[in-house]
Amino acid sequence: MGKYLLRRILQMIPVVIGTTLLIYALVFALPGDPVAAMFGDKPINQSVAAQIRSEYNLDKPFIVQYLIFLKNALTLNFGETFSHQPVIDVMGRAFPVTIKLAIMAFIFEAIFGVVFGIISGLKRGKWYDSVILVVSLLLISVPTFVFGFVLQYFVGVKWGLLPVTAGSNPGFFDLLMPASVLGSVSMAYIIRLTRSEVSSNMTEDYVRTARAKGMSSKSVTMRHILRNSMIPVVTYLGTDIGALMGGAMVTERIFNINGIGNTLYQGILRGEGPLVVSIVTVLVLVFVICNLVVDMLYAVLDPRIRYA
Amino acid sequence: MTNNDTVANGAVKKESSTSPLLEVKHLDVEFTTDTGHAVKAVQDSSFTVYPGQWVAIVGESGSGKSTSAMSVLGLLPGTGKVTGGSIKLHGEELVGKSQKDYEKLRGTEMGLVPQDPMSNLNPVWRIGTQVKEALTANNMDVSREKRSSLSKSLSNAEVELKKSDDELFISSAEREGLLAAAKKALEAAHVARLDQKMENFSETWVAGSQTRWLVAQDLVKAGLDDDTAWGIAKEHVTGSSMDDRISGLLSEAGLPEASTRARQFPHEFSGGMRQRALIAIGLASRPDLLIADEPTSALDVTVQKKILDHLRTLTDSLGTAVLFITHDLGLAAERAQHIVVMYHGRVVESGPSLEVLQHPQHPYTKRLVNAAPSLASQRIISAKQRGEDADELDKLMEHHAKGEDILERGEHIITVDHLTREFKLPRKKEMFKAVDDVSFSVKRGTTLAIVGESGSGKSTVANMVLRLLQPTSGTVTYEGEDISTFQGAKLLDFRKHVQPVFQNPYGSLDPMYSIYRSIEEPLRIHKIGDRKSRIARVRELLDMVELPESVMGRYPNELSGGQRQRIAIARAMALDPDVIIADEAVSALDVLVQDEVLRLLNDLQAERGLSYLFITHDLAVVRQIADEVVVMQNGRLVEHATTDEVFDHPQMQYTRDLLDAIPGGKLQLGLD
Amino acid sequence: MSDMSKSDSENLDTTNEEFFADPDPLPGQERFVAPADETPLQAVDSVDENEPATSMWASAWITLRKNPLFIVSAILIIFILLVAIFPQLFTHNNPTYCNLDYSLEKGSGAHPFGFDQQGCDVYSRVIYGARTSVSVGVLTTILVTLLGGLIGAIAGFFGGWVDAVLSRITDIFFAIPLLLGAIVVLQMFKTSSSIWKVILAMTLFGWVQMARITRGSVLEAKNLEFNTASTALGSTPMRNLFRHVIPNALAPVIVMATTSLGTYIVMEATLSFLGIGLPSSVVSWGGDISSAQSLLRVTPSVLFYPSVALALTVLGFIMMGDAVKDALDPKSRTE
Repeated sequence: MGKYLLRRILQMIPVVIGTTLLIYALVFALPGDPVAAMFGDKPINQSVAAQIRSEYNLDKPFIVQYLIFLKNALTLNFGETFSHQPVIDVMGRAFPVTIKLAIMAFIFEAIFGVVFGIISGLKRGKWYDSVILVVSLLLISVPTFVFGFVLQYFVGVKWGLLPVTAGSNPGFFDLLMPASVLGSVSMAYIIRLTRSEVSSNMTEDYVRTARAKGMSSKSVTMRHILRNSMIPVVTYLGTDIGALMGGAMVTERIFNINGIGNTLYQGILRGEGPLVVSIVTVLVLVFVICNLVVDMLYAVLDPRIRYA
Repeated sequence: MTNNDTVANGAVKKESSTSPLLEVKHLDVEFTTDTGHAVKAVQDSSFTVYPGQWVAIVGESGSGKSTSAMSVLGLLPGTGKVTGGSIKLHGEELVGKSQKDYEKLRGTEMGLVPQDPMSNLNPVWRIGTQVKEALTANNMDVSREKRSSLSKSLSNAEVELKKSDDELFISSAEREGLLAAAKKALEAAHVARLDQKMENFSETWVAGSQTRWLVAQDLVKAGLDDDTAWGIAKEHVTGSSMDDRISGLLSEAGLPEASTRARQFPHEFSGGMRQRALIAIGLASRPDLLIADEPTSALDVTVQKKILDHLRTLTDSLGTAVLFITHDLGLAAERAQHIVVMYHGRVVESGPSLEVLQHPQHPYTKRLVNAAPSLASQRIISAKQRGEDADELDKLMEHHAKGEDILERGEHIITVDHLTREFKLPRKKEMFKAVDDVSFSVKRGTTLAIVGESGSGKSTVANMVLRLLQPTSGTVTYEGEDISTFQGAKLLDFRKHVQPVFQNPYGSLDPMYSIYRSIEEPLRIHKIGDRKSRIARVRELLDMVELPESVMGRYPNELSGGQRQRIAIARAMALDPDVIIADEAVSALDVLVQDEVLRLLNDLQAERGLSYLFITHDLAVVRQIADEVVVMQNGRLVEHATTDEVFDHPQMQYTRDLLDAIPGGKLQLGLD
Repeated sequence: MSDMSKSDSENLDTTNEEFFADPDPLPGQERFVAPADETPLQAVDSVDENEPATSMWASAWITLRKNPLFIVSAILIIFILLVAIFPQLFTHNNPTYCNLDYSLEKGSGAHPFGFDQQGCDVYSRVIYGARTSVSVGVLTTILVTLLGGLIGAIAGFFGGWVDAVLSRITDIFFAIPLLLGAIVVLQMFKTSSSIWKVILAMTLFGWVQMARITRGSVLEAKNLEFNTASTALGSTPMRNLFRHVIPNALAPVIVMATTSLGTYIVMEATLSFLGIGLPSSVVSWGGDISSAQSLLRVTPSVLFYPSVALALTVLGFIMMGDAVKDALDPKSRTE
């Protein structure tokens, strides 16, 4: 297992380098001069601009800029924002909020997605199966931001059950509504995935064999149908953590949360290259690490996968 | 022995041996299709199983044999429902019982050994865990044997009933101590041939499987007096743990190193080993009735024989009755006392095995007996040989008589010379030799069969002869030329003359192609004829394989396996080849269909002087089609001789094993 | 055939008796022979010539048209396409003619959905918005399918180092979430007002899934036995690719394309909502929802109508994707 882990980590490296290079290229190939943007409406002072350029290495060839960035990133030195705050500090403030939000969304989608999916799959064709299916179809079809507004309007404004927007340091109840909005689409997909897995596993030969052994239908369901259905669901959940962090951009805007999504969004709008690249790098790392964990989990859950 | 233990399993009524264990009367089973109408899978079927008996249900796919068995277990798939008749187990009606009631019966009263060992074990649980489930689900006492209530009276009426404690198993912890004590006692008694006896003991005294009274019996037989023997047995045999019992069950099913194997996962097992695990599971709770649904059809013949022999011994000693479902009449007759033949959902004939086989009365049974390759003894006589043309017949009879002569003088159309093929195995340094120094040649107008079990390398040889795979060393020559030198037009010409028919009629036809396009494809590739002439040619070919013209517009999924295989043969014949390489071309087919396809191949050979390289795992089929046989094992050529030689005077042990394993091969049939 | 069985059944009656006399059989296990006319013997493996011939596509179509999901979604999609192609059939108002005098006026007569903050007719904007959403969705799907399909097919069919290189490139793009990547790219074309920038941005990061699906499906089709059979008949690898592999690998690609069409429509709306998708000059549901955001508490209807239109459109395509999947799923095809 250790060897396998090491190999997988080594395989991650080209992906991380490739991805950051791609993002770096896209960000720094942006038309428009980011330095000029910093001056806003004021006339550009060429000598100051040149100084800033050299400070941010913007005067060097692109690939050199990238290598310097990479070297610094390894020592957690992500540079400064245009307003001279260390990028690491900005991220340090924004990430915990988003992580909290993503974890809550993750728990929400995992619990409800799996539970409803199992109910639906085991009782295919019953009325509640149909209801669950229709609801999950609707959740996929209605864009997150529309769903967000609707919840915000009813739960927040009309009924006043939960705070409409989250403040600067949001707590559990502040994040409850954003988290369910963030997790809703994935939950719908998990319901569908779990349902189809459960109902296809029910007709497997080994399930019949288990019943022929004399096992009660309850333990057949638990040990054979559900256990085997969880393999792809866990895989989906694992890869979804990264996607949740990325998807936080929309949710954080709706609910006005100062998390990583909002910070990234502002960074992109202002053309703040170092900030954008740094955040995306961290997000990609999270995503790649989640994939790695999923691969490990997969090997644990499914003995057929060998550490090869 | 003097204590007042409750007598195991109650007093066995001797008279119960004459009352049926399972009685199925006028059973009707229906399935509902997607469109809502009912399809009858089983109609008005009756059969009876007595305790300790082997009863076989024989039929082709779709005959309703598995459906009948599953309705006994209450495990009909999907929309299946028993709509009429009665199923009685121990005189108790099962039809209409709830699943909860069935749960109580399954495992303890009836067990299942399913068909496909690959899909019937859950890939995520260890083998031992899956055996354990069978034990815990029925609250089995793992420390002692539960004899089927009728076992004694059936298997050995002489043995008196054992008390509950006498049925305690050896545990793995005590086993060493038991062996030591036995040795000491035997030494003290100055028993002869001590070492040999000890060796026997350590072999038969399996933890979790051998019981106290059997140990005592063994010791008495070895020469100890009753009291000493029972003393040792009582002291050292005090019941096994769950893990002991699991490995005991697995080793009873014939799995070596059972305690290690129990910790492995299904994917680490071969098909035969998985089947053994499934047998252990089926018998774990000592059911009175074991339903064995084609338990060995996915396995090599030699493995099949071993497993069935073992199952036989095991069920005999436990007194378990077996309802044995199979498509193989020979196998059924060989294994069961009573045969039930099913066709189109109905029982068409039943009776004592040999009687049914020797005097089949229903036209379907007759057809089945005639077609069963394992029961046939002769090479199929082609249409012409059957005598439409007297001159021709004479000539062919001569051919047959002087068969060996012709084989010796015959012109070689394909020669395989010191052929070797190595494969790189993942994570292993040394190369794996799939084919190891194989040489033979196919003579024009004759059939050479390569026989071997899975992993013997026979298909690899076929692929090299077809030039789909390059040999590591050695050559294949066609008409005296090395095929590896063929390029461009020359290669195309080779492909025109040497045509394949593959095993899987489902896989070798493109599902997107109509039958017409499939058969036309070789003509198109080789740019032969125009549209009109191709249509005419396809018609001709369909006629040749005895299929109606109307199938031209159809698609492979609408035809049966046998029909698809005919299409594949028609496609192979499209270019008028000289050689056909048939790789397990009839293995996937039902007996009757297989028989027809074999006849077709035989007729084509007689008419067109084709040469066949016939790859198969089934020696019984070989006898029907081949002139010469090459036997392969583990990539090597084991034996090479004429068919008669191989069947009458096999030289090698492996060939003899293969012959022995042909089900029903030794049955003497006084066919009418 | 019938002659034969008749004569056989006659034989049976006479011979049966001697076997009934068999001493041994237990009750219920006596020799039994069913009357031959009860189960008439059919010719071995006969062809049913009455059934109509159906190709895989034809049988998929038969399954499809029986599926209520398909009927509902087809009606919905046809309607939406109609609106998208001929918006003038549904409204005479100009969606871009706005008069602040009418700002947030309630719906009536010719303006059933009322007016938005700018005084534009909401109904006509909803009607005209369909064209934008549908064209972005359809064009992105086509491009993604072509690009991803091509890359996946090449990787799957040729294998070896080609596959290794293409798969690593796929991995790199896969690690960037679609939304994130699209936003970064769209920043490059902030000033452009063409819908193509949105389409291209989504294609650039959307092809990955398609490439993976196609690769897997081509790999599977490539290893099917009929390719070996064709090779042995004299076919070349290229001929196999186009005649056998691609047609057989198509089904999952079609399913993926249908399902993702809805996703791309959502994505476009999301980008417009974030204000970096389509320019405000283009009438789009996402843009309208975004600008109506602040009106949630005042006049929710302005937000409501474009949202419902968007959701219905996406629902239509997702349901269509489900129906197509059911029809083409190899599991449901096996008899």
